[in-house]
Amino acid sequence: MRKSVVAASVAAVVLGLAAGAARADVKFGALYPFSGQLALLGEESARGLELAVEEINAAGGVQGEKVVLVRGDAVDNNQAIGEARRLISLERVVALFGTYSSARSIAASQVAELAGVPYFELGAVADEVTGRGLKFLYRTNPTAEDMAKLAVEMIVNKVAGGLGKKPEELKIGIIHEDSNYGTSVAGHQKKYAAAAKLNVVTSQAYPASTVDMSSLVLDLKRRGVDIVMQTSYQNDSVLFLQQANEAGFKPGAIIGGGGGYSMQPTADAVGHGVIEGVLDTDFTQFLVNTKYTPGIEGFVEAYKKKYNGNPRSGHSLNNYVGAKLILQELNKTKGFTPDTITKAMKNLDVKAGTTAVGYGFKFGTNNQNERAAMMGMQWQNGKLVTVYPDEAAVSPMQFRK
Amino acid sequence: MDILLQVLANGLMLGGLFAIVSVGLTLIFGIVKVVNFAHGEFLMLGMYGTYLVTSALGLHPFVAVIAVVPVLFILGALTQRLLIQPLMASGDDHIQIFATVGLSTALINLALLVFGADIANTPPHGLRAPVEIGPVRVLTGQIVIFLAAIALVVGLQAFLARTQTGRAIRAVAQNRAAAELMGIDVKRIYALTFGIGAACVGVAAVLVAPLYPTSPNSGTYFVLTAFVVVVLGGLGSIGGAFAGSLLIGLIDSVAGFYVGSDMREIAVFGVFLLILILRPSGLFGSRLKLAHVSP
Repeated sequence: MRKSVVAASVAAVVLGLAAGAARADVKFGALYPFSGQLALLGEESARGLELAVEEINAAGGVQGEKVVLVRGDAVDNNQAIGEARRLISLERVVALFGTYSSARSIAASQVAELAGVPYFELGAVADEVTGRGLKFLYRTNPTAEDMAKLAVEMIVNKVAGGLGKKPEELKIGIIHEDSNYGTSVAGHQKKYAAAAKLNVVTSQAYPASTVDMSSLVLDLKRRGVDIVMQTSYQNDSVLFLQQANEAGFKPGAIIGGGGGYSMQPTADAVGHGVIEGVLDTDFTQFLVNTKYTPGIEGFVEAYKKKYNGNPRSGHSLNNYVGAKLILQELNKTKGFTPDTITKAMKNLDVKAGTTAVGYGFKFGTNNQNERAAMMGMQWQNGKLVTVYPDEAAVSPMQFRK
Repeated sequence: MDILLQVLANGLMLGGLFAIVSVGLTLIFGIVKVVNFAHGEFLMLGMYGTYLVTSALGLHPFVAVIAVVPVLFILGALTQRLLIQPLMASGDDHIQIFATVGLSTALINLALLVFGADIANTPPHGLRAPVEIGPVRVLTGQIVIFLAAIALVVGLQAFLARTQTGRAIRAVAQNRAAAELMGIDVKRIYALTFGIGAACVGVAAVLVAPLYPTSPNSGTYFVLTAFVVVVLGGLGSIGGAFAGSLLIGLIDSVAGFYVGSDMREIAVFGVFLLILILRPSGLFGSRLKLAHVSP
């Protein structure tokens, strides 16, 4: 009697294991800052990844297996490293997705590189992420350099004409927060501006935690700057726009870079009247020509259904498209060894204008998506609408008369 | 010339802002002799309180003072009673510092949990309106902050100098053991002082919230400078903290305009280091009294 019970339970356990093995979920790591200061956009980024995985699973998974995401909380650089280690060695994920924050990405991807596990960066913009020549790191999203390139392109192609001047007649002021992010974007802005023969009259850094930018505003005003390019986070974006307005400084155009400039609370904080006409370079946003971004409406629908609200920024969209294309590509191959994954990525080839983010996908030098590009947006009537490039624009770029 | 005046005015307004934030800090340091690293987070909580009262009830932000100041007083007094006081018995001052650092981190993450990382905007109710004084243009809210900082400094000094409780507080600061022998309830005075210090930052929060967006990190933006100001003015000297604030504000503004905004912090901390080297006890500080440490 007792023996048979034991035998039965052993059999049950074995069967259970076997059943588990047959279903064999395939695990991927989702490494984002889910708590701490970067939690808001970290979580927003992860939502895009989750939606991509849900869609893939609903369509039969990858190679017939269900994709399971294991979360790792990259609350700071040390923890990003620790969590990457845990995901790789304990959870045995076949690859990692991440990370939103460049610093976390740079730290965690080193762990993955040493372990020989592919790491897919879907949202961090710093040059160094792909600039280190890592073999297992791939980046799908546009970079700090793309952001600067687009801003200068916009000035030359659109803004100068809109202000009724030649590009080289404009006085350009570059201001940026003084961490790695602002400094690298500003550096590229200077480089591209010089190449386009633009007249950059000043370039100034300030700490992002500043509580006063009035002297900087006065300085720009005194120099008669026509176009301000600011690379900033939210606090300093709000501060600059408010203090410029209060000091009566009204340049021909203000071009913000990502972060604070793309967020609705920034517009609400500054006031819709004050932010009217301010330009912004960033990831693809939602008020965009849907012919150029097929699939974006379906994404927003799915997002609303799952999270009961509109996407809070373009981060979710970029993560969604990047993750979806990678998982689809993995579906075309067999197995999840690092070798098969890296081989599969060589075949990824998607044209611009065919994805929900607009830009295309092909991994080039250093595994950076060489087709990734940012878009130009403008605040019009309290909304962030896409105005550049023309094929993605929903509204013409407007200028202060 | 007009530009110079504007730069100076900006500096004074910035100084007023630093002053109102650091008054409470310097009081707590001077009396309880605890470096309260959670001071900025008290400010942040006060700003959220102001935001909630203002946006929920549609009232002028200054009305929030009725709610925010008592709440922060209680929070401060409780911090002293429940967190700092038990650690004072341990005889190692460093533990109290770690405790306030821990409290700071806990409060930031609590705010992240409750309010999210996004910014909250207190409606300005006209406090962002510029006022022209001659060639100079400043915000109504900045002038209010500046005047309130002066009132707070004068008021606190009078309270410490004139009232029975104020004298008891000073007695405890001078010599804890002697004060206790004179029949002063030292624990009560500490809790009271910590409460008053927190209440002061509550006043600051109500005035600052309409001018700056509130986020869980708001406190950290202000508090580093507040520490500089407190040390510069002479630890525990309230008038000194005020003078230190104006000095730092002016240096920040002038250097930011004439030298370059990336040099602002170098200028501010350069002067700070210089003053510490020349006058280790700060501009207005007497030698730091640590009578309570020695038996």
